[in-house]
Amino acid sequence: MTNRDTLHKQEIFSLKNIVVSGLVLFYIIFIIIPISIAFVGSFHQWNPLKGTYTFNGIENYIRVFNNELFWSSLSNTLVFTFVVILFRIIIGLGIALILYSSIVRCKTFFRAAFYMPVVTPLVAVSFIWVWMYNPQMGLINQILGTHNNWLVNKDTALGSIMVMTIWKDYGYAVVLFLAGLYSLPKDCYEAAKIDGASGVKLFKYITLPLLKPMTLFVVITSIISYLQTYIQILVMTEGGPGTSTYVTSYLIFDEAFVKYNFGYASAISFIMFIVIGMLTFISFKISSEKGGQGNE
Amino acid sequence: MSKNIKLWIVHCILVIFVIITILPLVWMLSSSFKMNSEITSITPTFIPKTFTFKNYLNVQKNFNFLRYFANSLFITVVITGIVIYTSTISGFVFAKYEFRGKNILFSIILGTMMIPWCVTIIPRYSMVLAVDGLDTYLAVIIPAAVSGFGIFMMKQSIVTIPEEMLEAARIDGASEWFIFHKIILPLSQNAISSIAIFQFLWSWEDYLWPYLIFSSEEKQVLAVGLKNFNGRYGTDYGGLFAATTISIIPVIIVYLIFQKRFIDGIAASSVKG
Repeated sequence: MTNRDTLHKQEIFSLKNIVVSGLVLFYIIFIIIPISIAFVGSFHQWNPLKGTYTFNGIENYIRVFNNELFWSSLSNTLVFTFVVILFRIIIGLGIALILYSSIVRCKTFFRAAFYMPVVTPLVAVSFIWVWMYNPQMGLINQILGTHNNWLVNKDTALGSIMVMTIWKDYGYAVVLFLAGLYSLPKDCYEAAKIDGASGVKLFKYITLPLLKPMTLFVVITSIISYLQTYIQILVMTEGGPGTSTYVTSYLIFDEAFVKYNFGYASAISFIMFIVIGMLTFISFKISSEKGGQGNE
Repeated sequence: MSKNIKLWIVHCILVIFVIITILPLVWMLSSSFKMNSEITSITPTFIPKTFTFKNYLNVQKNFNFLRYFANSLFITVVITGIVIYTSTISGFVFAKYEFRGKNILFSIILGTMMIPWCVTIIPRYSMVLAVDGLDTYLAVIIPAAVSGFGIFMMKQSIVTIPEEMLEAARIDGASEWFIFHKIILPLSQNAISSIAIFQFLWSWEDYLWPYLIFSSEEKQVLAVGLKNFNGRYGTDYGGLFAATTISIIPVIIVYLIFQKRFIDGIAASSVKG
């Protein structure tokens, strides 16, 4: 180590120096500066269309907390995130366990098939499902024999978007859990089998605890991405019917780039940032308290 | 339970899920070859009664679809190429070099993956506005040039390359650049494949940023084009199905090319993560 360091000390334009300074520069310009601008901007009446940029203290934040649409969109976001993650994990883990078992044939085929929606662009997928839910020509009504206008009925609109999101994303969980299963230490199982553990016990006391880090990984990446969902909403319902499918990120999009209330939208963004941080922290906490097998 | 019944049940479950997963995509593909009257008819068909390519031709005639397609392809390929290079070289530096502030920088890179798009997008937009960069390809490409996810993946993968290999090359007088290009890059193919698939998909489906940046129609990307098409020709269902099918094909091709290596790639990085 020291040998190498002295060898390359003289070079200012070494690979290491160029890369590190490039990274620092990039993160300052595209992350640090924008965050600072947004933070300062959230305390301003900032509207580029009207050309206003005047300090107004915490008024934006007060307006956010007094806005009923913010609260209903936040509750939609949380319900959406919770339900989609729950199903993503249940279906993902279930199918991964089936695919892992030695009796299944054509594993590669199944894995590739489940993964197809994951690699399909979200805008395109959203359109496909708009037509799937179409009351006249859509497949959903034809298959279920119902006459519902899924995306226009306010009782089913959000649920329909959740179903589409689960459909698109569960395959990613399958692949991750499968990877987790293949990396489990085989000797644990052999030892447990020698001690006479049955299939159910093996699953409950060995497989599940060992899969905990992978589950945590899926939960946290899902929290971060689902709290920011807006494409589905934009394409499928534009927040409607009424405001029943507004999620917070769609509200931000609407305030920022339809109404150009940059200051107000920045305030909501920061609140969202804190929500994401808190939920991520809570999932870390819960996972380290429960069981505490300590293989994180 | 006998082994045969078990086998049968398990495969049934899998096949049901495959059908649910594939059906919407197959339906889209088959509908894109149907006449509009057949798509909207009360008695639905699954396989087109009259097979037609008209939808694909109309999409191009009414709407300069190939232009959007070419723009998306250009932007996506350039961004994916740049991200693969910057991720690998940064991953290499984080995996194999020591420098002051290394851990802090790496935590910042990981931490910023948690920052929602909505926090940075307004300032970035006003920054582009300030440097007069609206409606340029550079405004879309440069902010996407470095990926925290990519750096993380590559670091996880390059850490496993044995130090002795690099030492041996150094003793033979190889420069750091030579080591990177001739040893690290070729050895990182699995991780590179997964970054290629993800980054290609993310850039291809990116909607909001190109929507904000491009004002002239001949520069716009496919994801935005698809939404515009829907707004303007909302009743031309055949055309919409055809347009959507075209917008999916490139990602599926990239996935099929890289998929073998790719699964190993994500497996390796996420487990250790």
